[in-house]
Amino acid sequence: MKNNNLKPEMNQLRPLLGDVVATLESKAPYGAVVLTSRETVRYLVDNNQERVIVGDPTAGAILTTFDGHTMNEKAIGGFDKNELLQGVKDLIKNSSFTKNGSIDPGLERKHDYQTKMEQDPAQVPTGDKLEYLREMNRRVNKIDSRIVNARITLLEYREKSIFRNRAADISQDVQRVHMSILVTVMGDKGVVFDWDSKCGTAGLEVLTFSDEELEVIVKNAIKLLEADRIEPGEYTVVTAGGVSGVICHESFGHGVETDMFLKERAKAANYIDRRVGSELVNIYDDPSMPGAFGSYFFDDEGVTAGSTQIVKDGIFKRGLTDLYSATMLNIPRSPNGRRQDFSRKVYPRMSNTFFGSGDTPLEDLISQVENGIYLPKTSSGMEDPKGWGIQVTCHYGFEIKGGKMTDKMFAAIGLTGYVPDVLSSVSAVSSDFHLSGGHCGKGTKEIVPVTDGGPHLLMKVRLG
Amino acid sequence: MLEKIQKSLNSIPEIKAWNIRHEKINGSQQYDLEKSTEAFRQVSSEQYTVDVLCDSLDGEGKPSSGVGAVSILPGGEINQALRQAVLTAQLVHNEPYDFPEPASLPNVELADQEYIKDPAGSIKKILVSLKEQTVSYPHVRLTAAECFGQEKTTHLVSSKGIDAHQNATEIYLQWVYLAGEGEDEVETFAEIYQRRIADLNLEEEAARRAQYTSDLLLAEGSPSQTGPVFVQGGSLATMVAGEVLSGSLIQTLSSGAMKYSGETPWEIGKSIFRSDVKGDSFNLWANRQLPYGMQSNTFDAEGIPAQRIRLILDNKLEAFIADQRFASYLDIPATGEFGNIELSAGKTPTKELTKDPHIEIAEFSWFNPNPITGDFACEIRLGYVVDGEDRKPFKGGLLLGNLLDALADITWSSETGFYSNYLGPSAARFNHLQIAG
Repeated sequence: MKNNNLKPEMNQLRPLLGDVVATLESKAPYGAVVLTSRETVRYLVDNNQERVIVGDPTAGAILTTFDGHTMNEKAIGGFDKNELLQGVKDLIKNSSFTKNGSIDPGLERKHDYQTKMEQDPAQVPTGDKLEYLREMNRRVNKIDSRIVNARITLLEYREKSIFRNRAADISQDVQRVHMSILVTVMGDKGVVFDWDSKCGTAGLEVLTFSDEELEVIVKNAIKLLEADRIEPGEYTVVTAGGVSGVICHESFGHGVETDMFLKERAKAANYIDRRVGSELVNIYDDPSMPGAFGSYFFDDEGVTAGSTQIVKDGIFKRGLTDLYSATMLNIPRSPNGRRQDFSRKVYPRMSNTFFGSGDTPLEDLISQVENGIYLPKTSSGMEDPKGWGIQVTCHYGFEIKGGKMTDKMFAAIGLTGYVPDVLSSVSAVSSDFHLSGGHCGKGTKEIVPVTDGGPHLLMKVRLG
Repeated sequence: MLEKIQKSLNSIPEIKAWNIRHEKINGSQQYDLEKSTEAFRQVSSEQYTVDVLCDSLDGEGKPSSGVGAVSILPGGEINQALRQAVLTAQLVHNEPYDFPEPASLPNVELADQEYIKDPAGSIKKILVSLKEQTVSYPHVRLTAAECFGQEKTTHLVSSKGIDAHQNATEIYLQWVYLAGEGEDEVETFAEIYQRRIADLNLEEEAARRAQYTSDLLLAEGSPSQTGPVFVQGGSLATMVAGEVLSGSLIQTLSSGAMKYSGETPWEIGKSIFRSDVKGDSFNLWANRQLPYGMQSNTFDAEGIPAQRIRLILDNKLEAFIADQRFASYLDIPATGEFGNIELSAGKTPTKELTKDPHIEIAEFSWFNPNPITGDFACEIRLGYVVDGEDRKPFKGGLLLGNLLDALADITWSSETGFYSNYLGPSAARFNHLQIAG
């Protein structure tokens, strides 16, 4: 465990954690302790400024007890041994417990996990990173003189944690990276922008952009100056992977996080083993996807990452759980117990959520559309787990005419519908696959890194 | 530890200026389900955030300034962290500037003494009170509620001589009401951020949410029409001031940084609107001094004192909002962070705004206009078709338009209200907006 890349102060506390758990379990049926450190650094270069912004680090210990009814937690900033031990005493003294059977701590396991990287950001000098961003900024600005600004942002997000309960003594060092390129242009109608991004649970090696990719951003930003507003109505649409992903994220992502079942907020709770979409619809959540931005080795409650099939051939199969919701609902765990940072509670949360691919080549899928809209990019989405409404805002869309893509652009486009209607209308699924990474909240808080995506989908929705 | 960091900073000759923020947070959280408590949490944290400003030469040999920042936990290694911050600062090249000088600080009310007296007890009381309020509405069920409270103390010191303290509280409350049964069951989800327990307005909010929930049961599909749209309360505040934890269109377009980069078309002395103003004139302040405003503070992260900036007067831009650096570049006064939005009251009583047939929007799924253009297409979670006494609820459909165009054709109420990060008219009638059902 000496080369696990954890902070030295975390490794120093680690040998104590078995005793900490035993002390917690001398009073409560279940006890666990997590040491966690999350650090972010954002590098920004645009036409007018450079910045290196160090995010507020969140580092501390979380002591948890659970009696099958209520969780009690004490979150202590930093890794001071005396404060940790005092926290254990305080937690036990100030909590009451009902013995409610045993809580399964999972299989015996001991392992240290680390993200595989070719270029560990921690080993690349700050100067080299800034120079890379400057060069990217120069490459973009060369493309068109109408560019007002080209903002290049690199985000490094490092999460190190140790999880200990009576069965597990595991650690992970997860490195996430994200780069975005945002191009602003100004015309008679004002200022508009377009962007592209790449990300992964990986090193800096995944953050390269070809000249063609940069040209597409600039071309679409300029095109937005002349984009039309779409006539509201029902349309046949083809959604690109990123848009498909937001649809599954907002429909059978948030809506099947099983705290929503306990809160009676999820319509899906009444639809287990019932049809919610066409036979072509398969939806998964999988934090074990190699390299995906929402991936991890184990969740914040020590459950090893793996795939969960949420919807199979159009039938809703199961939701995403944390320890509390799985215990209360008496359903199997999935590796989705996640917390924003040590100061926040665990909730069942998505990781990498996506539609499964089909077998239709993209060209065949587009050729099926006589009149429709191609939606390549979203800017946001919002869930409605009880009403099953869906709102996805697309940055722009292109007209499809006679089975062929055209250059006619509409912006911005709101996509709405009733979830089962939208999913039932899926009539073709392409064979390709794309994940988009970003951050997701529950309401306006509890932000965690996720991806969503999938293949291109052919469906009918309401646009405005 | 603060003194140790200061001593180390003062011993590094490459540093032109520095500031340190020592922040301590203590929080209490409770998570309730309908008949049980899911979790209790106690949270404490402490850290020192250090910004160092260094001058260096850029790649072309021109003088430049850069900031490096680092956060240190109590007992953490100081010298290595500061060396890293200095190294970063010397690699970042911007036009030269300096950190702010000390200035007198206003007295801004930020902390709720009622909460501070008994944090965990206060959180429990809020949830009990919510349950008691809900009993008055037997047609709804309270199936979940979360309440957090936190007290944050900040001590900022800088090489320029700033030495300032502030103490602030935040209260967060969310809850879910359900009504109806089986397939027809509906929910409303409430989420409120305030600095004071008293500002949660639990009695009023519970009544409003209970009414919305029962109205949702009766709601039909959305109409399609263009015409007057009435919005009030928190929904109006969100349209104008944005979500509490994110910015607004007005904040983006009035940013000195955006002006410097050429990304905002707004100019001092010119109308902020791209079309003729047909409605009430628009007068707005960026106000960090608003008592108990969620975006209020005594001083910001750089130590710039809270101000009340007259931003827009009679539709024309009066100022840009800029930190010390962009203020220096643009040769304008440094305002510091934006703060809350304050609008002048309108002249029309709410009753008058609603006397003609109109659409009322009670709640959006999410009002999220394009952050630069202001274009929006947002789903309506609950609305009403109103004609005199006749008030028919509807759900779904999109409100379409552009926020700046919408604000240029609006009639504001004479009554005012305070909603977390907004103080201004409590209601407004957008005179010409499109709804697509």
